[in-house]
Amino acid sequence: MTTVSGPAGTPRRPLAGYIVGSVGLRRPSADAWRTAGITVLCVAVAVGLAALLVTFADGSPVEVVDALFTGSVADTAGWSQTLVNAAPLLLVALGACIANRAGVFNIGQEGQLLIGAMVGCFVALRLQGPGWIVITVALVAAAFGGGAWSGISAAMYYTRGTNVVVTTLLLTFIAAQVVQFAVNSPSLLQEEGMGSGPARPQSDAVPDYLRLASFGQYPDLTIGVGVIVAVVATVVLAVLLARSRWGFRLTMLGLNPMAARHAGVRASRLGGSALVLSGAFAGLAGGVILLGTVFRLQPAISNNFGWDGLLVALVARSRPGLALPVAVLFGALRSGSSYLAATGVPDYLVDVVQALLVLAFVVPPVLSTLWARRLRNRAPVADTPARPTAAAPAKEEVQV
Amino acid sequence: MSHDRARTDGPAPALELRGISKRYGPVVACDAVDLTVQRGEVHGLLGENGAGKSTLMKVLLGLVHADAGEILRDGARVEVHTPLQAAELGLGMVHQHFSLIEPLTVWENVALGEPGRVDRNTICADVEAVGARYGLAVDPTATVERLSAGERQRVELIKALRRDPKVLVLDEPTSVLTIAESAALFEVLRTAVAAEGRGVILISHKLAEITAATDVVSVLRRGRLAFHCRTADTSAPELARQMVGRDVSLRAEGAALGLVVTDDPAKHLTPVLAGGLGAVPAEPPAPEASADVPGTAALALHGLCVAGPDGRTLLDHLDLEVATGEIVALYGVEGNGQATLGDLLSGLMAPDAGEVRVDGRPVSLDRPGALHHAGVGVIPEDRHRSGVVLDMSVADNLVMTDLRRFSGRLLMRRAQIRAQAEELVERFAIRTPSVDAPLRTLSGGNQQRVVLARELSANPVVLVAAQPTHGLDVGAIEDMYARLREAAASGVAVLLISTELEEVMALASRIAVISSGRITGVLDVADASPQRLGMLVGGEAA
Repeated sequence: MTTVSGPAGTPRRPLAGYIVGSVGLRRPSADAWRTAGITVLCVAVAVGLAALLVTFADGSPVEVVDALFTGSVADTAGWSQTLVNAAPLLLVALGACIANRAGVFNIGQEGQLLIGAMVGCFVALRLQGPGWIVITVALVAAAFGGGAWSGISAAMYYTRGTNVVVTTLLLTFIAAQVVQFAVNSPSLLQEEGMGSGPARPQSDAVPDYLRLASFGQYPDLTIGVGVIVAVVATVVLAVLLARSRWGFRLTMLGLNPMAARHAGVRASRLGGSALVLSGAFAGLAGGVILLGTVFRLQPAISNNFGWDGLLVALVARSRPGLALPVAVLFGALRSGSSYLAATGVPDYLVDVVQALLVLAFVVPPVLSTLWARRLRNRAPVADTPARPTAAAPAKEEVQV
Repeated sequence: MSHDRARTDGPAPALELRGISKRYGPVVACDAVDLTVQRGEVHGLLGENGAGKSTLMKVLLGLVHADAGEILRDGARVEVHTPLQAAELGLGMVHQHFSLIEPLTVWENVALGEPGRVDRNTICADVEAVGARYGLAVDPTATVERLSAGERQRVELIKALRRDPKVLVLDEPTSVLTIAESAALFEVLRTAVAAEGRGVILISHKLAEITAATDVVSVLRRGRLAFHCRTADTSAPELARQMVGRDVSLRAEGAALGLVVTDDPAKHLTPVLAGGLGAVPAEPPAPEASADVPGTAALALHGLCVAGPDGRTLLDHLDLEVATGEIVALYGVEGNGQATLGDLLSGLMAPDAGEVRVDGRPVSLDRPGALHHAGVGVIPEDRHRSGVVLDMSVADNLVMTDLRRFSGRLLMRRAQIRAQAEELVERFAIRTPSVDAPLRTLSGGNQQRVVLARELSANPVVLVAAQPTHGLDVGAIEDMYARLREAAASGVAVLLISTELEEVMALASRIAVISSGRITGVLDVADASPQRLGMLVGGEAA
């Protein structure tokens, strides 16, 4: 049967199928429905576990949900805070999407973000000029800083074969030390003491005219430039990954590097640039945090945005379109957690809940694959009952 | 159990399988298969790829659980749930692809998987004793990675025989052996069977081996036992017919089934015996332009040298030329540098020395895609490794080597890709539900057609086909042969890299033999005989 429906007869996938399909890791198919079912189940389990934890911490799950809700999406102020948190998460996640697509797993966004913030801070404090030019240059410099930092990993991987996961992770700790050094050295970025008391380990504040603008005034919804940059970048990247030659080659490289090489892809160039680009997005996130919310370089400025952004990409399975809502969800958890204090529940519980949610979203494809394999192995013939051997399944898996 | 079994009254058979069924989802791999192996008998199990041979043996060895049926050893019903149980019951297996651990020594590999204390001296002595008894000499302290394919097979055999199996299963044992090594292997089997009363199951898709080395033969077709007979009472053409389920055409399928075509007017198919008694084809099957046509060769390889990461020589000053419109076969036993050459011509690696010229122009080999742009199409040996991206669509796989043609400055032109894909699907008869289906969902033969369609659609000067029929069924093999001949007839220089003697004899006009990374000789097909090729394969000049 060589029948292929023409363009006119192309069945459009229904929206629900598309969403479910896009959740499936790299292989949208009938398996996707099973995966979706398992995902719902896992999320339910995660939420149940979270409720249990809250109860053990002498809190009331209802109150906790209420606090999280109030702090994040109950009113425009909550939404504003949620969006402020979501922007850097989304930028980091976009970078992670690029690297993951190319099959290089960058987990050092936290460090790349720190370096980005540091470079951006340096430019913002030293460069003279009209506000919008300095802001642009500072953000671009932040991206360059993050890109250079992940570029070190790229260079090590493509010249010496050093594992990317290891180098990006370890470079994060070096980045933290570099920033510490910078904010402790008066000749670099340490603030000038205000006359009284010693200078603290942080930079001077960025002058007002260099801070990212927001649209809308409290108590109305405020949307910062960072959010706009992140959303625009999401749309552009989603289109490029899905439709462009670059996206095609990147996907090919990630799925089968050998075939990609046969098709003319130079892994060191394309994969290396993907790694640099992912670092650049993390660096840009650092710049946005610096100029948008914190305004001065502090060793803790990254505040786990790098790690959490990576988690956003994991949950979104490296799809920019899905990363957007996931980033908003994670942003909401962050802003909601600041309201937890009133309920008497420690706010780090939110981190635990977040981790449970990540697991709930990351585990299902694995479970689904295992389940499918089990079905293939044991599919019984209708007229004979399957042999009731309890130990059999485990053995079979060993053989596969 | 209605089949006549050629069973003698007397002791119960060493092994009996009754009504074994196994279903994978909608696919019935084995459908009520019966098989009886007497003591002292070599039982041939013949069938195409996917006929159910492997599944049946997996059931026997406890690797897979049957849905129905029973297994009897010496007349007593037994349950086999794990390979360990199978070993305790005296069932041993030599796998098609060696299950040896390369960095370990021979004796360590032999001891692997045995319960109890490991004593180096005992095992070494055992290895030598077993080796002496069957004529399988191998140094027990040698490291496996330094052994040749033939020696590794000996290690596998020693490992199986040392456990004193009552029934020994050999899965495609000759795929990595030279003709001489195959003959030696069958000698060993005779000794093990006749003198010691073991049963042997010999799995093969090569008719020649079955007719030469077995006492009884069973043919599986689509999961069912299609035929069962004493080997002496049947003939190769009959077996071929039973295997495929219809009469086989002389050329393509004959070669696919391991037969060399003779010019006998009675159209007899003559199997090439492992000992080298086969007939010489009198008529060169490919009447296309011969090698001595003047002008530059379409593909010229000069002095290619490649050393492996461990310093081993993979290619050793390899020279080869292929002219426009001819099919040149590179024949040799697996593991003599063919894979390296295939990788090199796919653009996956650069040689340490030497050059590749296409149409007389040298190609810079360290630029990815350079060979493709110079006009070299490749059907790789392992298509899943470098030929296709399984998780991308059929359409994407059909255009992925020529992205510039199908994209603007930035974005891909989807309509154009679809049109091209649909045209190729039509032209190459690729069976797919849609061009948007993931390539993974296609059968092996159709995946191979996707590769062929893509590589030929670029109008190549040269087509390199490395083991293009591995793992395909007879219909797909026939189709592949026709396409390769067609390509050559339309002026493409075809380099066929193959380990199948019958395949190269059927397709090529010249045969180059590779051994240890060197070309040991180039013969016109008219001058080639299994004996001469066999000597070249072993590294001797013919």
